[in-house]
Amino acid sequence: VGTLLQQIANGIVLGATIGLIALGYTMVYGIIQLINFAHGEVFMVGAFGGLAVYRWMLPVSWQEQWYIALPLMLLGGVVVAVVIAVIMERFAYRPLRNAPRLAPLITALGVSVALQEAIRIWYPDADAAQPFPRVFIDKQITIGPVEISASGLLLIAVSIGLSILLQAYVSRSRMGRAMRATSQDRDTARLMGVNPDRVIVLTFILGAALAGVGGVLYGSWITNVDNSIGFQNGIFAFTAAVLGGIGSLRGAVIGAFIIGLIKNLGGQYLPGGTQYDYVWIFVVLILVLVFRPQGLFGEAERVRA
Amino acid sequence: MSRLTGFLPPALARPFAVIGGLLFLIGAMLPWATFLLNDGPYPDKATLQFFDAPLELTGYRWNVLLFGAAAIIATFAPTPGKARVLRALGWGGLAISAISSIFIAGKGGGLGAITATDGSYAFGGIVGAVGGIVLILAAGAMPLPDIPHWSTKIFGLEGWAGRIAAWVALLIAFAAVLYMVQLTLTVGGIGGAAFPYAGPIFLAFLGFAGGLLGALHGMGITGWVSRLSEENRAFSIVVLLLCAFALPFTEAGNQYWMQVAATIGVYAATAIGLNIVVGLAGLLDLGYVAFLGIGAFVAANLSGAAASTVGWNIPFPLAALLSAVIAGIFGAIVGSPTLRVRGDYLAIVTLAFGEIFYRTAQNNIGTLTGGASAIPGIPPITMFGTAFNEPIKLFGTELPTGVLYYFLIVLVVAAVMAVFANLKNSRIGRAWIAIREDEDAARAMGIATGRAKILAFMCGATLAGLAGAIFVHKLGTASYDSFKFLESVTLLAAVILGGMGTIPGAVLGASLLFVLPEKLREFEDYRLLVFGLALIFIMRFRPQGLVPDRVRRAEFAGETAEGKSIEEIQEKAVLEQELELEREHEAPSGPKEAGR
Repeated sequence: VGTLLQQIANGIVLGATIGLIALGYTMVYGIIQLINFAHGEVFMVGAFGGLAVYRWMLPVSWQEQWYIALPLMLLGGVVVAVVIAVIMERFAYRPLRNAPRLAPLITALGVSVALQEAIRIWYPDADAAQPFPRVFIDKQITIGPVEISASGLLLIAVSIGLSILLQAYVSRSRMGRAMRATSQDRDTARLMGVNPDRVIVLTFILGAALAGVGGVLYGSWITNVDNSIGFQNGIFAFTAAVLGGIGSLRGAVIGAFIIGLIKNLGGQYLPGGTQYDYVWIFVVLILVLVFRPQGLFGEAERVRA
Repeated sequence: MSRLTGFLPPALARPFAVIGGLLFLIGAMLPWATFLLNDGPYPDKATLQFFDAPLELTGYRWNVLLFGAAAIIATFAPTPGKARVLRALGWGGLAISAISSIFIAGKGGGLGAITATDGSYAFGGIVGAVGGIVLILAAGAMPLPDIPHWSTKIFGLEGWAGRIAAWVALLIAFAAVLYMVQLTLTVGGIGGAAFPYAGPIFLAFLGFAGGLLGALHGMGITGWVSRLSEENRAFSIVVLLLCAFALPFTEAGNQYWMQVAATIGVYAATAIGLNIVVGLAGLLDLGYVAFLGIGAFVAANLSGAAASTVGWNIPFPLAALLSAVIAGIFGAIVGSPTLRVRGDYLAIVTLAFGEIFYRTAQNNIGTLTGGASAIPGIPPITMFGTAFNEPIKLFGTELPTGVLYYFLIVLVVAAVMAVFANLKNSRIGRAWIAIREDEDAARAMGIATGRAKILAFMCGATLAGLAGAIFVHKLGTASYDSFKFLESVTLLAAVILGGMGTIPGAVLGASLLFVLPEKLREFEDYRLLVFGLALIFIMRFRPQGLVPDRVRRAEFAGETAEGKSIEEIQEKAVLEQELELEREHEAPSGPKEAGR
């Protein structure tokens, strides 16, 4: 039972990370029906942005104080992620908005590869995994048989907190209403005085900010990062978004926790062990897409090419 | 490019074209580097003084010289498609000059290689680049002509005389193609530390080849040749095959280039298979390399390799057939979700399948794949008592090692092309294209879309499996690492870069994507970065690819299959409609006329 609970706890922390990414996937897909493959890389870039702040901008004395270092690193991660996402939207996706459906998807693949490689080539030493400082209180917290790091708990808290905030923003605020309107019918929204371009950029910004936060917190939880964390976690997050019903914020977060649990429990209890944990996630992805493409919370499938 | 049109007043077009051409001539004869670069002299006498030996120029400076002369002649002679020709020459010369100058400046320690402190200068590259820009501007000031449409009746000859004339023309054209292919492979030599100039020389050559092709295209010659070969199909196919078989007898006939060519062939065959799925049926497959992998592992297990678990040793043709069949079966399995899943969800399903294959192969599932230690020691193909990795003697010429693989792959690629071409023009091929254009409409027309889509996956997978069998024998090891996600993306990029749905497109795309890294070994680190950026730029600026399918070009570029702008046609149609309406208003038509 001890292992089971421990694996569940690990799964929930992973799920919290994935959830922060999945929100971006699901929002972008909800608005422009684009699988933004490069969103995982935004998460990765965010982690490296936070690392850059820690390494080259914080004086040594501040590095020790988590209540100074962590907010600044989060800010750095978010800024880098948002800038990259906005550039990406403006120069790669926007010109293709009326192109055939496959074109932006292929572009997204290109952006993903290019970002991974750009980090590997130009970020100092990033051709190998980089140690990430455990900025938050470096302590293991024991709850009964379960041991979880303080960073892990922080990740869970932030992830849940931010998704509630986002949900509130999208359902209550003026811009949130504009977002929902745009996702339902872009042309009608335009007639109602919504500027779709602005809404789309805002969507990318929100998604990137969450991914940036996720990247920094994930780094300080796992304590090392490399340029492939984005692709892996991005796929997980995409699976989570689909599982929850793409376009649904609540679904994305719940899907993320389910995926986190599947990965850890599958690695523990299913045949093949941790070597096959990825395989289970992909199997889930295929099964969901084939048998319930609208996911757990999504609306019924809309027909589109 | 459209912004460059009309930048100059039309009256200045001719003088500028001549100036551009002259700048090319002068630039070619000026020195291009002031001193010997660190790795030895930049080839082609880059440090020659002005007019030292203008007739001894070879390589890229000779190319610029050629373009300059051609531009001046084209300006004054009654050239068909003049503006297009000049524009192509301008871009080609600009590319050659820019690439060489950037490389010389970069390698030679910055601008020092272009203007040295001792007062010597090397403005050749800069002058050439300026010439290119001037020429492009001049071309932009001229009216853009339609691409000329030449009759395939040479000199109006009929019957046998006409046919023989066509054959001679085709022979010349294909010989030129063979020469260009040979040159493309060998120009600049083998890349890598031993010869760091291979990359820029090759890129400059690509600039030359691109400019030349553009000029020929502008004059309507490429179109003419392709129509000619269309009319003499059997003859063209035989000659093209002969040309492919003749390649080892040219300068490219050494072990290294034969190996590269064989590898390209494998990927080209795979890319054509992918082209069925993506190009014809419009189903994006992001895990396609898994089928190559399945074919490879099946063939590895049937090759008698000591490290394989099954370890049967069956003749290669049979093993290849089995690989293809098993890959095809997996293709049907992977394709089955297409019954329920559409569009980019399908892309994700195929990606997931690809990743599952990769992970299970990595973990040596059923001890069939060797896992991390791969399956080494796969023997070469042996047929007719000859091992394929041995050099052979043919027609008195000693042919290098690996040439047999090359021959085999040429045959396979030819077969795959034939399959593709026939499928494309068959009932099922038209069904695929219909599905690509509009699935619901296709279903409404009575196409069994589900069966057609699964069949597309099966056909593609079968071809990939066949390619995989050759791949693994040629390589000698079967490792899961050859089949990762990026390989799928590369194959997809080959199809897209070349042009979806066309055979030459897939072959050209595969060749480019696999020759370039070979030539640009020096910049290997940047390969994937450039590759990712290239995907973005292709989608942005030329989504229809280098050799677009006629229907597809129409879809992307707003042109009809004949290359006319749809916008113009629509405007015309609207005008005509309005005229008609006006006429009807003026003279209300009786019921008899309305019935017509």
